[in-house]
Amino acid sequence: MNVPTEHLLVLAAALFALGVLGFFVRRNMIVVLMCIELMLNAAILTFLAASRLHSTPDHPSMEGPVFAIFVIAVAAAEAAVGLALIIAVYRLKQSVRTETLGEMGG
Amino acid sequence: MAEFLFYFLSIVAVAAGAGVVLSRSPMMSIIALLATFFCLAVIYLLAGFQFLAAAQVLVYAGAILVLFLFVIMLLNLGDTRGQFRLQDALLSGKTRLGLAVAAALGLVGAVAARRAPLGEHDAALHAEGIDDLTDVATALFGRYSLPFEVVSLLLLATMVAVLALAKRQRGPASQRPPEASATALAAPPPTPAPPPALPDPVASKEEVTS
Repeated sequence: MNVPTEHLLVLAAALFALGVLGFFVRRNMIVVLMCIELMLNAAILTFLAASRLHSTPDHPSMEGPVFAIFVIAVAAAEAAVGLALIIAVYRLKQSVRTETLGEMGG
Repeated sequence: MAEFLFYFLSIVAVAAGAGVVLSRSPMMSIIALLATFFCLAVIYLLAGFQFLAAAQVLVYAGAILVLFLFVIMLLNLGDTRGQFRLQDALLSGKTRLGLAVAAALGLVGAVAARRAPLGEHDAALHAEGIDDLTDVATALFGRYSLPFEVVSLLLLATMVAVLALAKRQRGPASQRPPEASATALAAPPPTPAPPPALPDPVASKEEVTS
């Protein structure tokens, strides 16, 4: 694939912006978590694009894939805890809407 | 051919990402997110990362999305249609802020990507792939073994946290024993009272039997 790295980065920026948009706009907590996953995927894509840029045939850059694996592990942990929290909130409030949790808001 | 596939998949990935944000039902959001993940997996493959493409499909699409799907089905949220409308959402000030932040971030990312000093990459390298599994393992267990251990600690902490959250969900039932013990602690004055009360029925019974 002979695509310049900047196009990969532009794709990552677009996905990250979509994730941020959904994080602010949506009120369903599950969809908010999905938007976080979208942002994490954009981060992985950025790591891989940088690794691809800095790789040479003799010295493939391994930082990108290794940290992408770390990001995947963090995403899995975040999804597990977030969904457990969502279930706990649902038991408490019978809803997964963010408007129902206004106790700590100013 | 590969370039055409990349741009096509990029467009599909961004469209599916927009679908995640805009779809009314969380189930459709999940399916759109699945499409995004698969497009990204093929993009990783095209960029020369075979292992990451496999991990993307196995871990993200296979494990994390199934977790989301499981929660949606568990809470029976699949049919909450019509609760989200973009027109309504756009009217609120917070979402306008979100829109502005997202646009600014996308713009900054695109400009940074355009202005970054990016050299020409070696196209021959990517035919055989960058993330050879041996190299990944050497880096992961050699130079980056400390972050690897930290990640294992994170996963352990996650497991403990999820277990604690799952146990606390039986809140009303599990809070009752402390209350019961609290009342038992506060109760010592009443507890001596029953013994004098107890002999009376016994005595009365004895009276009845006698």
